[in-house]
Amino acid sequence: MGHIQLNNICKSFGSTEVLKNIDLEIQDGEFLILIGPSGCGKSTLMNLIAGLEDITSGEIVIGGSDVSDKSPKDRDIAMVFQSYALYPTMSVGRNISFGLEMRKVPKAKREKIVAEVAELLQINHLLDRKPGQLSGGQRQRVAMGRALARSPKAFLFDEPLSNLDAKLRVEMRTEIKKLHQRLGTTIVYVTHDQVEAMTLADRIAVLKDGVVQQLGTPYEIYNDPVNHFVADFMGSPGMNFVECVVFNDKLIIESASKSYQLAVPCAKAIKDSGLESVLLGIRPEMLTDPKPYDDSGFVQEVCFDVEVVEPMGADTVAIGKWNDTEVQVRLSPESGEVAGEGFTLQVDTSKSIIFDPRSGNRIR
Amino acid sequence: MNLKMLSGISLGRVAIYLILIVFALLYLAPLYVMLTTSLKDIEEIRSGNLLALPNDPTFYAWIKAWSSACTGSECNGLAPFFWNSVKIVVPAVLISTVVGAFNGYVLAKWKFKGSELLFGALLFGCFIPFQVILLPMAILLAKLGLANTVSGLVLVHVIYGVAFTTLFFRNYYVGIPTELVRAAQLDGAGFLNIFRHVFLPLSTPIFVVTIIWQFTQIWNDFLFGVVYSGPGTQPITVALNNLVNTSIGGKEYNVDMAAAIIAALPTLFVYVVAGKYFVRGLTAGAVKG
Repeated sequence: MGHIQLNNICKSFGSTEVLKNIDLEIQDGEFLILIGPSGCGKSTLMNLIAGLEDITSGEIVIGGSDVSDKSPKDRDIAMVFQSYALYPTMSVGRNISFGLEMRKVPKAKREKIVAEVAELLQINHLLDRKPGQLSGGQRQRVAMGRALARSPKAFLFDEPLSNLDAKLRVEMRTEIKKLHQRLGTTIVYVTHDQVEAMTLADRIAVLKDGVVQQLGTPYEIYNDPVNHFVADFMGSPGMNFVECVVFNDKLIIESASKSYQLAVPCAKAIKDSGLESVLLGIRPEMLTDPKPYDDSGFVQEVCFDVEVVEPMGADTVAIGKWNDTEVQVRLSPESGEVAGEGFTLQVDTSKSIIFDPRSGNRIR
Repeated sequence: MNLKMLSGISLGRVAIYLILIVFALLYLAPLYVMLTTSLKDIEEIRSGNLLALPNDPTFYAWIKAWSSACTGSECNGLAPFFWNSVKIVVPAVLISTVVGAFNGYVLAKWKFKGSELLFGALLFGCFIPFQVILLPMAILLAKLGLANTVSGLVLVHVIYGVAFTTLFFRNYYVGIPTELVRAAQLDGAGFLNIFRHVFLPLSTPIFVVTIIWQFTQIWNDFLFGVVYSGPGTQPITVALNNLVNTSIGGKEYNVDMAAAIIAALPTLFVYVVAGKYFVRGLTAGAVKG
């Protein structure tokens, strides 16, 4: 059915290699997110799957058959574009049924399908309007309706929410997730928004410079990133990276003019690497107000000079320095109000990760 | 203070309008003279004032120009040549517009290796003066057996017009998002269906622009008309020239003027009917392209 396999895909534009040896297997019914900074090749990869661009080498298998040389219309795939790409001169109803019309589905059946899709997406009242008369959110729904009408093997979403305002984006996000749960169709979804990726995906593939850095569940990507790039890319506010000198299996940090030794989980690996200094990666939520904890040997209190506070409502991000590097910490709104110089910070290094400062690779 | 500013502004306004009116009158004066002269009889033209209104308006000159004025040795008026022009203009405009639309569609949305070069070459075609191709084109038409025929003139105008029509359509279609093509491809539409269902319905303004442009160019053409036409296929511009240059007895200015207006009427008509699309279409293409 909607099982997609990418074998050793390469794509070059002239002499520029955009994608390098991509191997990905997307299970039937899976929600896979392709994420990466702009220019990483994620949209190109999607266009290759859709057949809108030709692969330079490799093989694309959809639903068991090799479609590498097939035209887009023969791949049985539907796509939702960032700009929606609704046909401006056609009514909403015809936009939705156009794909069926081109595939010579009889009129009565087309009308039935349009009615069903419109019902599902709650756009029944819009069917006679032109796309120009719709709001952004409504256009988004129509674009999804157009994709749904054909009941394809898989849906491709190319940054579908990036043109919506913040509130609507969150609403549509939930709606897409509900839709996926109801239909169970394979979805490949391109975004550069890591919150979207975390909330929607069954699995996330992080791309950089045309190479898949890591493929895993949102939990794995967030908690167990393979390298500095992935760790840095996922999470908001992002992970803190501080270069520390290694001393007796511990990392030395200087905070508020005092020196501390932090115990970290992978002390043995650090020792084996023989590095004199390493890059400590620690997420802001592990740097908090003092609160009760189970003593695992990884928690300690550190004096911290707060320079800037950024209230976010549910919590407050405070910014200070460790080893002259900026560090973001996550405080409760109440302590955010009073935080200043000499704030007592609870540091939990149990989930911290360590990188080679030169290569950016994990040490574990 | 307030009063002074107010009067200053209104004085400026008055001056501007005065200047505009003067220039508008200057600009319209020839047309006025043509119209009034065409409605006078020849006696009144000889004795009267050039700018005076006709004492006794008559359509004699118009009727003569249309049906019985002499254009060389024949004296059948402009009517047969008017229809010659129509026979040349209508197919030439339609063919060059349709070909231009397809060319533009391909050059904007279905780029192939060398398509930019082809577009450049077509663009270059816009700058080739008529005179340069006169001789080679005459040889080509003779070889094709189309010399002195309406089809031959249609061919010349189509070839010459395609450079312009392609440019218009290409620049207009470049402004239409490529994602529409991609969406339609995924919907299962092919090259022609995408053109028909997606591009054609969006193309009204640029079709109007192209048709006006081509109609005016071809209708007003004199050089190709005089070189490549035969005795029975001369367009109205050539006939007008012959009519003005043929004088039996005295010069009939009223007939000349009426004939000139008749020759210009179709282009005027097209501008009046479709003029608002002309500006709209040109700017739409310019901004997006």
